Amino acid sequence: MKLRTKLTLFNTLSKLVIVIIFVLLLPVVFQTINKNYADNRLHKDEDKVLQTVRDQGIKSYIQNGESYGSYTPIKDVYVSLDEDTLAENLDTIQNEPRKVDGDTITYRILSHNFAVDKKNYLLEIGISLDSVNETSRPLQSIAFMILVAMIVLTVLADQFYSTYVLRPLGQIIKTKLIGQKFPNFGSYEKVQTSTSDFEYLDISIHKMIKTIENTFQKEREFISNASHELMTPISILQSKIENMFEQEDLADEPKTRLLEMQRILNRLKSITKTLLLISQIENEQFLKEDSMPLHELLQEIYDEISIRLPEKNISYTVDIPENMVLVGVNKFLMFNLFFNLINNAIKYNREDGDIKVVAARENNTWVVLIIDSGIGISAEDLPFIFNRFKKLRASLKQDSFGLGLPIVQSIAAFHEIKIEVQSEKDRGSVFKLILPDFLIKI
Amino acid sequence: MNVLIIEDEKGLADELEIFLNNCNYVCEVCFNGTAASEKIAVNLYDFILIDLGLPDYDGLDLLKEARKNNPEAICIILTARAEVYDRIRGLDLGADDYLPKPFSLLELQSRMQAITRRKFGLKQNLVDLGGFVINLTDRIISYNGVEVGTITKKEFDLVAYMLLHKNRTLTRSQLSEHIWGSIINDDYDSNYIDAHIKNIRKKLNAYGPPDWLETVRGLGYKIKVNT
Repeated sequence: MKLRTKLTLFNTLSKLVIVIIFVLLLPVVFQTINKNYADNRLHKDEDKVLQTVRDQGIKSYIQNGESYGSYTPIKDVYVSLDEDTLAENLDTIQNEPRKVDGDTITYRILSHNFAVDKKNYLLEIGISLDSVNETSRPLQSIAFMILVAMIVLTVLADQFYSTYVLRPLGQIIKTKLIGQKFPNFGSYEKVQTSTSDFEYLDISIHKMIKTIENTFQKEREFISNASHELMTPISILQSKIENMFEQEDLADEPKTRLLEMQRILNRLKSITKTLLLISQIENEQFLKEDSMPLHELLQEIYDEISIRLPEKNISYTVDIPENMVLVGVNKFLMFNLFFNLINNAIKYNREDGDIKVVAARENNTWVVLIIDSGIGISAEDLPFIFNRFKKLRASLKQDSFGLGLPIVQSIAAFHEIKIEVQSEKDRGSVFKLILPDFLIKI
Repeated sequence: MNVLIIEDEKGLADELEIFLNNCNYVCEVCFNGTAASEKIAVNLYDFILIDLGLPDYDGLDLLKEARKNNPEAICIILTARAEVYDRIRGLDLGADDYLPKPFSLLELQSRMQAITRRKFGLKQNLVDLGGFVINLTDRIISYNGVEVGTITKKEFDLVAYMLLHKNRTLTRSQLSEHIWGSIINDDYDSNYIDAHIKNIRKKLNAYGPPDWLETVRGLGYKIKVNT
């Protein structure tokens, strides 16, 4: 899950929890508030009644011993004053039902007794509970709506801010780590951020890249220099052998040995040239400006390689659209890429086997498949076939030094072609070249 | 024909000289650029072989001097630094060919002859071999005026290369280097030369016996021409 999503999710969840707790508490809170408010009001009314009694005497309420009672028209408030027989002091507020004109209504009732003119009186002031709690429902809804609105607003704000604050991270990943042609990262560009952690990350990644780049550069330079330096001594040896071979007084036996030396020297030469080629490709010393129909390129390869087919009686078929043209490639390299793949398909094939070179549309891109009916590659060998100098058990019998597929891979990477290999032991292999759109014109 | 060899590796310069002497060229050798520069300014040569990697001189400067003082000479660059831009610059500066080290001496000779033919536009280059006429200009083999049409480009290349080095045994390594040298692959022993020779013999046999194409047991092949 994305960091941004995680942050937003956490914010939303934590706020939701707070809201739920709050919403659950709301009725209790409002009831308490309302109760306190009602009690307050009852006490004020009590004070007013008592003040009136003190100022004007009990007569203003009770005359001739009749009890006093007063209701508002909808019976939500009442006041009653009566002579009381109870001796103890009473000053309580309780919820009690009262029957008024045939209706039973629950009131919050303040009961207070007091003595005036040596007589005890009981004062009751009541407010109907309905009117006490009347405001709590709308208040609850309003509070709930405000809360929801606030949550939505803060979640949006969080989302916006986390997007803003995490943007440099995305940029670091996008510009520094993915979509780069390894190990050519190009020049360093600082990612704009005010977050010191990201700045630190950016600088660390940059340092790491520099180290990797230097190591790669050194390795490439070494391979390039080593192969160049080897060329001259090889050249001298080759000339000496060739000249010795020409000497007329040379007996057959040393001649055969010279021939052997020549073959071994050729092997050294091939390895050196191949290493040099790989390092030149990796140093991007080739231009990609050629274009040619793929089937023509394959025809040229066929002309070179057809001599190798009859030995094992291998049948070879090509199914490539005639109008499929490779553009922006290096012809020499593309030739070598297909040559090596087809040459391998011949070398590791069986008697009466076959080879097919097919172009197909797959997931909206062009792929070229080189399918052989050969000895195949075992599953445990498959991950290592592109390693330099890696000789698989199956290839030991063959004349190779383990650089054919590394060349193929270097050339493919140089042209941004992806290679996928499927193989089944003793059944054959399929090398799939996934060609990027810009290499194909049709 | 006069050849100036400019090569700082004495071992290689010596072998070049021996080989070219055997091919009836007259050679002079310089081991550094300064000496070469003086020789270029004074003498006239038919061929100048320049190693680009000289310790005291930029080989490309030497090439410019050669173009100026020896405009008729055929210049061939020999170099261990097979960088693409070197090659392009060398050819831009007027080199006639470019041979990356390590190269076969036979290849060098064949290039020298090819350039001579190209440069001086030699007339129809025909060789008669036991009834077969090999036309090196049009790259055709014919027998009694009838073209052997089945011969492929590769096969003709092999015949022409052996014919150029006639009466000399060419090993399989030398032949495969000539026809597959530019392909980078990971076979180190290709005996497909045998298959090519077999095919050539079969195709020619349909017209007449190609006795001149000899197998030298255990060594290689040669084209025998009685002189």
